[in-house]
Amino acid sequence: MRTIIPYRPLIAALLTGAVLLAGAASCTKLNITKYYRRHHPALDSIEDTYRKAYNNKPFSIEFTDRPFGRVSLELITDTLTYIYEYYVGEARLSDTLRKYGYDTVPVNWLIGRMRAMNCTWIDKLDYYGEEQRHSLIYLSLWPRALNSPFVNKKYYILTYFQQPQVFDSQGRLLTGRRRRHIRKINASVFLRLNDKVAYTISDRFR
Amino acid sequence: MNLGTPLKLTGVIFLLAVASTGHTHAATGTDTLWRLPADTAQHNPARQQALELISATKLPDSSVWWPNIKFNLFIENLKANIAYPLKVYQGSNTNFCGYAALTYLPLQDDPVTYTRFMLDMYLNGEATWKNIRFAPSPAIHQVAGTLRFKGILDIRPADQLWFLMLADHFRSYLNFFNRRFHPGSENTFWAACNYGKFNRMVRQMLGWQVEAHGSDLFRPHFKNLYDYLNKCLLTGTTYLYVNNTYLHKKNHNKFRGSFPTHFIVLERISRLPGDGDRVDIVYWDYGGRTLRQVDLQFLKRIIFGVSHCTPPDHS
Repeated sequence: MRTIIPYRPLIAALLTGAVLLAGAASCTKLNITKYYRRHHPALDSIEDTYRKAYNNKPFSIEFTDRPFGRVSLELITDTLTYIYEYYVGEARLSDTLRKYGYDTVPVNWLIGRMRAMNCTWIDKLDYYGEEQRHSLIYLSLWPRALNSPFVNKKYYILTYFQQPQVFDSQGRLLTGRRRRHIRKINASVFLRLNDKVAYTISDRFR
Repeated sequence: MNLGTPLKLTGVIFLLAVASTGHTHAATGTDTLWRLPADTAQHNPARQQALELISATKLPDSSVWWPNIKFNLFIENLKANIAYPLKVYQGSNTNFCGYAALTYLPLQDDPVTYTRFMLDMYLNGEATWKNIRFAPSPAIHQVAGTLRFKGILDIRPADQLWFLMLADHFRSYLNFFNRRFHPGSENTFWAACNYGKFNRMVRQMLGWQVEAHGSDLFRPHFKNLYDYLNKCLLTGTTYLYVNNTYLHKKNHNKFRGSFPTHFIVLERISRLPGDGDRVDIVYWDYGGRTLRQVDLQFLKRIIFGVSHCTPPDHS
């Protein structure tokens, strides 16, 4: 007796699986502008608070785990950078901040707000153009939508510039008006969200 | 120059500093501030001599050998390296960490030789360091001064020249598929430095004795890592060859490569009282010193090599 293999349902199932996989992999590219548009007041307030707090005393904040339960602080002085890791809400965290002369209010506010917005890292970066030093705020997001089991871990990186930037027709960040080369930050090409904010999707949060 | 004395002196000052501050956990409310040894840069005769050498040397405003190096930036870079040797920065996303770590030694202990070599290189396109002749390939002459998007390395042409020249001269098995420089090679295996090559550079260029434990693949075994590192710190400069994906985490992946990627200079290690195997380590990399708290187990897991370097006249 001949066995009949049901090819058609099998092929249909495989095709459906492939479409779902492709969808899971590609959705990361579609959401960033919408995500920023939806959440920009919250994200911008994180950047603004961080910039002001950093100007008082430099530091950076990193969440080291997926549940956003452990936070690592880099406290930067002229001679030494101190790195400490705590559970969110631990009293030791504020003790350490006070010990090194940090204002605990903005730092604790940032930790709470970053946690709520799935920001895994915030830092200030220097970059150079025309032999001049400029700085930007580097904010890495790890939204849960990007935690698909089908794709590698990806981070949305937002860069906040102090001055309006130049972009090409495809929205890529350029080095300047005169020298129109594509600028890379941390080896990534950035795309326009608005005049002062650009983004990229990276497999590294810093 | 007697290289042993400053090291001993630094060690004594450091021990006194630790004793006077008392080292404990930050969160316990007691003092963890590591008092750095007094900065002697202003009164360091070798550094003064190196700065005078720059002033006394007549240099052309541009060099035919290095068409993309701007003279003013080159001189500023040399002066900054001499005055602030710890600020030497490898550049972001480059594989120059081995050369930056190597630079830690001559900039602190023999800035005059470093300065003379760099000026010679600028003037003649090649130079000799002790008995090693460095004649960079034409590609290096062209590219030095043009590296971009590397942070402050963008405006440090002398450091670009130095790192590229070292990578061009010293080779290892990592260069098997990357023998020549091509644009972007600073981010590839061409510029990478494996453990054997690093130790060879220290021995050949500086003449220092290197007691090396480790390899590129297997972690070394230490009966008591904490005691061993402390012993090394008392008698010389200690480099650690580490897996940087744990030390300087860049993603949250559960699975990470189990291989070494980075060189750091260990400057201090001390136990946290009443905190089991947790230690404070102070190390130098990326143009600055960092203090962080880690478990000894974690340290064992990331260390693939310990190079204890002592100057030639120090047994």
